[in-house]
Amino acid sequence: MKYLDAFRTLAKHRKDEIVVTSAGNSSQAWWAATRDTEATFYLDASMSLSTMFSSGLALARPDLKIWAFMGDGAFCMNPGTLMVERQMNLPNLTHILVSNRVYGATSNAGLPNFKDNDYPAIARSMGLERVFEFSNIDALEQEFASVTAGNNSGHTFLVLEVEPFSDAEQKLEQPPFDGPELKFRFGRHIEKRSDCDIFGYRL
Amino acid sequence: MNDKASDVAKRVADELASCDVKIVASLPDNWLVGVIKTIERDERFIHVPVNREESAIGLCSGAYMGAMGSAALMGASGFMTVIYAITKINYTYEIPLFLMLTLRGVGGDHHKHHISNGLYLRPVLDAINMPYQVIDDPSNIGFISRSYHHTRTFSRPMAVLFTRDLLRGHG
Repeated sequence: MKYLDAFRTLAKHRKDEIVVTSAGNSSQAWWAATRDTEATFYLDASMSLSTMFSSGLALARPDLKIWAFMGDGAFCMNPGTLMVERQMNLPNLTHILVSNRVYGATSNAGLPNFKDNDYPAIARSMGLERVFEFSNIDALEQEFASVTAGNNSGHTFLVLEVEPFSDAEQKLEQPPFDGPELKFRFGRHIEKRSDCDIFGYRL
Repeated sequence: MNDKASDVAKRVADELASCDVKIVASLPDNWLVGVIKTIERDERFIHVPVNREESAIGLCSGAYMGAMGSAALMGASGFMTVIYAITKINYTYEIPLFLMLTLRGVGGDHHKHHISNGLYLRPVLDAINMPYQVIDDPSNIGFISRSYHHTRTFSRPMAVLFTRDLLRGHG
């Protein structure tokens, strides 16, 4: 399954979910698929921490559904994060592990044990129950909506098996925001959606 | 935990609650066990034990973006592992973060292996221009609120550093 095709499919099925991207290629791919400037936090600078960031957000705002992308390179750095996610078991959080079996952001450098890493099995071994895996675009297209629509009983872990970025795709534009601008764009969107006060003053 | 240590732990919890802190993410340091147990039992908080200290940084940063107050509680050694997370997330995006750490490796610490923290904890904080406040006496516990609010005013991280004598009630 092509990385960008998978992301375009997710974008097509997205309703009002808040998205957090990860170190790796997910920011480029999501920006290419959506050009979202408000409801996505492009957390490029975050090796292995996008789902913890998302867990804090999901815990704080149970009225919002959160999709958190994480590359498998980031996941390999901190797989124990799934223990914390399982413990929190937040029904409004979907952890989308984008498995391309390389360190995509560093020119597809090799990932340790890439042939044998079984991410769904790792998740199940930590007690996660809502574990799904997609490796072809037709299945993703047909089943993704039901997987996320059924996100009521607890945390969801979804693995997308995709091809690494091509050389041309590696040159896709990065989301252009400076950090503080992204914080305020995203934060103001959350304040509006959720009628809350993040920054101590509302506009 | 003696009565004085127990009182310190309760006052730390009260200070956090007065700041509207709801989520406390922690990894233990032996000196912090009393504070962690106090917070765990306190219904004003959601205590999240994490797998590594970096996860606490991510969790608290996300909670901020959801308008929920938070604090990360960890030992000095744990803090030394989170420089990447803090400089990348909290400095890049200017997301406030409040940390409570132990001041390890100074006089009164019986563990030889904390010599590295005695030598380098404060120089590392200085190297990343991260403000901190040492709390070594119960009369200074109010610095928790002041430090927490500083993080929100200036959109930056700040830490308070607890001494052994404070946490063990030996003051």
